[in-house]
Amino acid sequence: MSKPKVLELFYDVVSPYSWLGFEVLLRYKNIWNVDIHLHPALLGGVMHATGNSPPAMVPKKGAYMAKDVERLSEFYQVPLRQPSNFFQVVIKKGSLSAMRFLTAIQMSHPEFLEGVSRELWQRIWSEDKDITEPESLLQAAKKAGMPEDLAQKSLSLMTSPEVKTRLKENTEKALEYGVFGMPSIVAHINEKTELFFGSDRFELLAHHLGEKWLGPVPHKSRL
Amino acid sequence: MSTRKVLELFYDVVSPYSWLGFEVLLRYKNIWNIDIHLRPGFLAGIISESGNAAPALIPNKGAYMFKDLERMAEFYQVPLRLPSDFFHVVIKKGSLSAMRFVTALQMSHPEFLEGVSRELWLRIWSEDKDITEPESILQAAKKAGIPEDLAKKLLSTITSPEIKSKLKENTEIELAKSIKLFGMPSIVAHINDKPELFFGTDRFELLAHRLGEKWLGPVPQKSEL
Repeated sequence: MSKPKVLELFYDVVSPYSWLGFEVLLRYKNIWNVDIHLHPALLGGVMHATGNSPPAMVPKKGAYMAKDVERLSEFYQVPLRQPSNFFQVVIKKGSLSAMRFLTAIQMSHPEFLEGVSRELWQRIWSEDKDITEPESLLQAAKKAGMPEDLAQKSLSLMTSPEVKTRLKENTEKALEYGVFGMPSIVAHINEKTELFFGSDRFELLAHHLGEKWLGPVPHKSRL
Repeated sequence: MSTRKVLELFYDVVSPYSWLGFEVLLRYKNIWNIDIHLRPGFLAGIISESGNAAPALIPNKGAYMFKDLERMAEFYQVPLRLPSDFFHVVIKKGSLSAMRFVTALQMSHPEFLEGVSRELWLRIWSEDKDITEPESILQAAKKAGIPEDLAKKLLSTITSPEIKSKLKENTEIELAKSIKLFGMPSIVAHINDKPELFFGTDRFELLAHRLGEKWLGPVPQKSEL
């Protein structure tokens, strides 16, 4: 077997399409010959730096997106549900503290990064719960099986210069790859990097990796 | 066999993703149990009305789009190539006269709609040729097999009020005020008496799922061998 190809996933838990991309990509972890590197980064930072704006700011696009997310959630089998107050939760409250918390985990306990990311998405994009308060972050960590002392330690580190810098670096690295939104997958193929934006380029990604696309729920399609 | 489901495709030949969507959808014409209705529209009008913006106006997005189109063209097997001066051709010159001509066909000779649309895309999005001059439009019509006198006659009608209003009406979906277009290609699928909007060229797998049909990839004839 040839060396696994590296796929870097840049994501922010404020982004519902990032959740879809995250779950689908991880389902292929042991199906494709790939190494997946998770990079928490700030969507707000990427938007600001590139002059991009959230799709929901165009009303018709926002209406479509709500419908699209609902349909994709069913098709991708990810339990996504709109928060009751989208603008307040997604645009106003945002995800800065959550993404700092994930960055602290990435730096000191990366084995919990996948699980805590998923639990944060569950809160904001499925259960209509807060992800900005310390208590909310601790709840997500607990559900992901992170021992309380480690979670507390990550929480206390999250406003440290090291963590802030690391999150900034993750975001800048994304920008260097040409990222303008999330999720973004950077695939390293034959010593070249290829950027795939969104949760709808998996079939094309598979084609470029020389792998087979088995749909968004590959385990089911193999039965 | 149950009644065919109706899919309406809203497109503009200025849009390269519309070309990809058009070709892929038409490949499924005889594979899925569907009727495809082609609806030429004017993308610049939809974008300005909805407050949307052309993706290429964000530099990183534009750079990505060019790369994405190149990869999608190869994967979808559509001979798409960027015009040498994208902004001039796509943003400045645009497609108004071409889409009016296509609308004239839709009204009086719909049998040529598919062929002429494809020839216009070939000009602007493959051969780096003009689609705004009368001569360019006649060339496309000729390649699609329209007799010259007919093409000239249609061309003379493209600034008539009927054509102008039809082009506008095409994108205003009367049967469902809930469907609002903001870009192209857009597919409106009529499923169980409910219209559903699918935007872009990357929702075919989802569309298939909703139709209860099988997605065989962007080049289904090949995958059936």
